Amino acid sequence: MPLLDYMQAKKLLARYGIGSIDSKYISSADDAVKFANGSKIVMKLISGKAIHKSREGLVKLGLESSEEISAAYNYLAKRGKKLRPFKVLAQKMASDGIEIIIGGNTDKQFGKMLLVGLGGIYVETFHDVQLRLCPITRKDALNMLSELKSGKVITYSGKATERIVALLLNVSRMLATNPKISELDLNPVIVRPDSYDVVDIRILE
Amino acid sequence: MKSRVNLAPMLEPRSVAIIGASTHPEKVGNVILQNFINEGYTGKLYPINLNADQVLGIKAYKSVRDVDDEVDLAVIAIPAEEVPEALEECGKAKVKTAIVVSGGFAETGLVDLQEKITKIAVKYKIAMVGPNCLGVINTKSKVNTMFLPSNKLSKQHEGNVSFVSQSGAVGSTILDVIAGEGFGLAKFISYGNAAYVDEVDILEYLMNDDDTKVIVLYLEGIKRGKEFVELARKITKIKPVVVLKAGRTSAGVAAAHSHTAALAGDYAVYEAIFKQFGFTIAKDLNDLLYYAKIFDSEVRPKGNRVGVITNGGGAGVITADEIASSKYLKMGAYTDSTKKTLRKIMPPLVNIANPLDLAGDADEKRYGSALDLVAADKNIDMIVVIILYQTPGADPEVTAEVVNKKTTLPKPLLVISLGTDYTLKQAKELESKGVPVYDSPIAAIDSLEALFEYSEYKKSES
Repeated sequence: MPLLDYMQAKKLLARYGIGSIDSKYISSADDAVKFANGSKIVMKLISGKAIHKSREGLVKLGLESSEEISAAYNYLAKRGKKLRPFKVLAQKMASDGIEIIIGGNTDKQFGKMLLVGLGGIYVETFHDVQLRLCPITRKDALNMLSELKSGKVITYSGKATERIVALLLNVSRMLATNPKISELDLNPVIVRPDSYDVVDIRILE
Repeated sequence: MKSRVNLAPMLEPRSVAIIGASTHPEKVGNVILQNFINEGYTGKLYPINLNADQVLGIKAYKSVRDVDDEVDLAVIAIPAEEVPEALEECGKAKVKTAIVVSGGFAETGLVDLQEKITKIAVKYKIAMVGPNCLGVINTKSKVNTMFLPSNKLSKQHEGNVSFVSQSGAVGSTILDVIAGEGFGLAKFISYGNAAYVDEVDILEYLMNDDDTKVIVLYLEGIKRGKEFVELARKITKIKPVVVLKAGRTSAGVAAAHSHTAALAGDYAVYEAIFKQFGFTIAKDLNDLLYYAKIFDSEVRPKGNRVGVITNGGGAGVITADEIASSKYLKMGAYTDSTKKTLRKIMPPLVNIANPLDLAGDADEKRYGSALDLVAADKNIDMIVVIILYQTPGADPEVTAEVVNKKTTLPKPLLVISLGTDYTLKQAKELESKGVPVYDSPIAAIDSLEALFEYSEYKKSES
């Protein structure tokens, strides 16, 4: 199952009205400084051989000065030599919010399943996720959230809830209409009452 | 979705051939024939036996092809290797449905033999259940293909709950328990290896069956996922389905593979689909009965507010705790007028609150007037009546009063009662009159919540 290129995956999400954080591949430290343009950025090493990027030290957060950015780029480029083929992705740094995971999977019996849960580092600790068969309805989306143990944390405001429900419906639509997607991870998605950012995307075809 | 098979001739057969109806009383075929006779089945019976002219006093035939009648159902109870030929004969004789009770197919590794009989069934359009199964019971048409000793398996009375079990052993165990429950059985179908007829066919049949009000399902795996989902979308809009899916953990799944050769999927996926389509998920064998019981009583709640009436303070508090900590239910608050009237008619030692503790000397009058008022209160949607029969006031008259009130009550009501001989007798009386009784507050509130959840699902889907 090949991993879909990050920027292509980003474009695919956009076709379903799912925005993701401003990102760009960089091929030099200068490139990265230019992309940052004074704001804080994140740099990640992208490789099919690296699943737990942050655990393996392949994500560099909160880079602001050109020195920091250059050092981070050089470090990732060096690590990448052992994880070829690789690319270095620069992203604008997302502001704080609740981290959730939205995922998709293909069950050989039933077909495309949609997943939601508390995201980031908590996914593997708490296994607090809800699944539904695609395509889901608005009612299904609300039930998924209310049945999460962390439901109250995630849906802390009516606006945040609506935002996640809309996202879930869009992802469900994308999964249901793209038979080629076998697995999907949007983790984390950072949700705030007035906005959200999909920070990492993994689509397996 | 057009039905693949028609199971009506299997469950309401006008004629039954029993292939392998032996003259030896210990042989399965003989037991099955004896069952049909004992049950008082009124259709035609055709024992098929190569060597005997008569079995149990009924004219026997060498082959099902010799029977000069349309055969609706053939029950096949012969060694596995002889099944293909017998089924072929059924096909030529235009038998409509068949139950292969014999084991010795995919579950023991003989996948080819199973495929062979499936092909024959498909070729002749025989709706075949099994192999490796107990077959069916229809309490109304007196069809019963169980071959288990009748002194070990109690007899079920006619009722509204139908039970479907992939496993024969779980099937017979639950059947035995159902026999002791107040609610009765409509139909039982054990389908074993599901070589042809599977859970989707059976559920579709029961969905359209007027005698079935509640479906209880024990599953190990689902063979046709897409068709199951298509059916699941429809079935719970019509009637409740309580499901227990074995194989929640990988240890359970390994056992399921070797057990019925079914493919148990990932439990999380099953759970998601059950939730999505309004199935009631049981986690234990007992849950199947607890939930069936409350669904069978048919009254659906309009809301989630519970009123508790008790003759024991402690049991009332435990039940209230359970309600307050449940996901969807809550303790209701009586209206001022209910409180006022209660205060007027109840003795001073009764504290007017929810739970309403009628005190240890509560008799049928106190229970009766409390029930009237709580039932009429617009802030109460469901009623829990705790009767501790060990107290001086609780007796058969209290039982009769609760039964009496329940018959006209537009709100769900259940009873919690714990005890042995005396209590069990009263519980049996309550249940036989359609009042569900639970011996633990947890089981009771769990069941009430399941009823509420299903009612909400149905409302949201209509």
